Amino acid sequence: MDFFKRYGVIVVTIAGILAALIFYSLNIPRKQHANALERGVMMAFAPILAPFSQAGGFVEDVWDNYLNLVDVRRENLKLRDEIKGLNGRLVTAAETQMANQRLTRLLDMKSSVKSSTVAAAVIGEDGTSWFRTLVIDRGASGGVAEGMAVVAADGVVGQVVKVAANTSRVLLLTDHASGIAATIQRSRARGVVKGRGEGLCSLEFTTREEDVKVGDAVVTSGIGGVFLKGLPIGEVTMVKRGQYGIFQTVSIRPAVNIAHLEEVLVVQRLPHD
Amino acid sequence: MIRWIALVSAIAAALVLQSTVLPIFLASSFKPDLLLVLMVFIALRGSFHEGLPLAWLLGLFKDVFSGLYLGLNAFSFVVIFLTIKSVSERLYAESGTLFVISVGLASLACFSLNLLLLILFTSTPGIAYSMGADLIPHLLVTSFAASLAPLLPWFERPLDAL
Repeated sequence: MDFFKRYGVIVVTIAGILAALIFYSLNIPRKQHANALERGVMMAFAPILAPFSQAGGFVEDVWDNYLNLVDVRRENLKLRDEIKGLNGRLVTAAETQMANQRLTRLLDMKSSVKSSTVAAAVIGEDGTSWFRTLVIDRGASGGVAEGMAVVAADGVVGQVVKVAANTSRVLLLTDHASGIAATIQRSRARGVVKGRGEGLCSLEFTTREEDVKVGDAVVTSGIGGVFLKGLPIGEVTMVKRGQYGIFQTVSIRPAVNIAHLEEVLVVQRLPHD
Repeated sequence: MIRWIALVSAIAAALVLQSTVLPIFLASSFKPDLLLVLMVFIALRGSFHEGLPLAWLLGLFKDVFSGLYLGLNAFSFVVIFLTIKSVSERLYAESGTLFVISVGLASLACFSLNLLLLILFTSTPGIAYSMGADLIPHLLVTSFAASLAPLLPWFERPLDAL
């Protein structure tokens, strides 16, 4: 008894380890089959395991979804930033492409104008709605002088009227004070294109006998020396010959879209040159 | 000093808005005359001695950024200023409604004076038709711009107190 009292714990421990080892070694050959103990435990726990498993699955789903949501939100923000950046780049690219097209056309016009020119950007419009003038970003320091002709890719824009050091005002061909010597391209009938406001012009002083038809192209005649000969002014939209009077009434739609002008060319040639 | 800085800033802002920013967003007929609004404010609230040269200057600034004829609006502004000033003492000048009505009438007067001067002194056939076609929208938009002025915090104060 004294022996068990002194070494009981050690003996039990060793016996337990041995028993466990023996139990393990005995079960090795029957690893494919469940023994009674296993079956019993499995049967006992089966009703409990299923709901816990489902609940666990549910918690796992919730957790995963939450984590996913956190990730999705982060990804969403990142993607939105990317979209913003890409949209910005798209707009810039489109703007550059359009500027390129406009400038290419302006360059074509530049090469067709047989005089030195200076390119300018439109930076302002007339302060009131009653007059038709533009402000461009070139002035005396850029070689611009009063009286010079201003053209765009599609044709005549107007004439420089007031020049400061770095800016100039351009009197548009649609202003009431504007007058440009012109010719009907097809029939060579002459007249003066006067502004009528509202983005339109009229061909004045064209006699009733002159051959003018709707759709005729109107170009500068070169008379007066301000505008070079043959620059497009616009297209005839209406011809009216009254029963009486010497002249016919001819309406012209300008070739240049004045409302959307962004770049122009100032022809550096004065009327007396 | 602050009063002058505020005034110069207001004039500069009106000029930039009227000639560069607003034309991008508004059709030409719907451009408000901000300098006229400013001039009417000065006529209703400011002193005669400071207001008269200021009205002329505002008109001159408008001429610099509009049309061909320097002095056209300057003259109209002076006439309108003098007219408003002659009655402003008898009116409740702090009223926002009166301000809007005054601006509307001033727009009409400016249109009439400009048209008269253009017909008398220049060769601009057809200008009356163009100006007349734009008159109603111009008048409405300018009056609308004037109706926004009472929303500004300094509107209630007299010009000398700014």
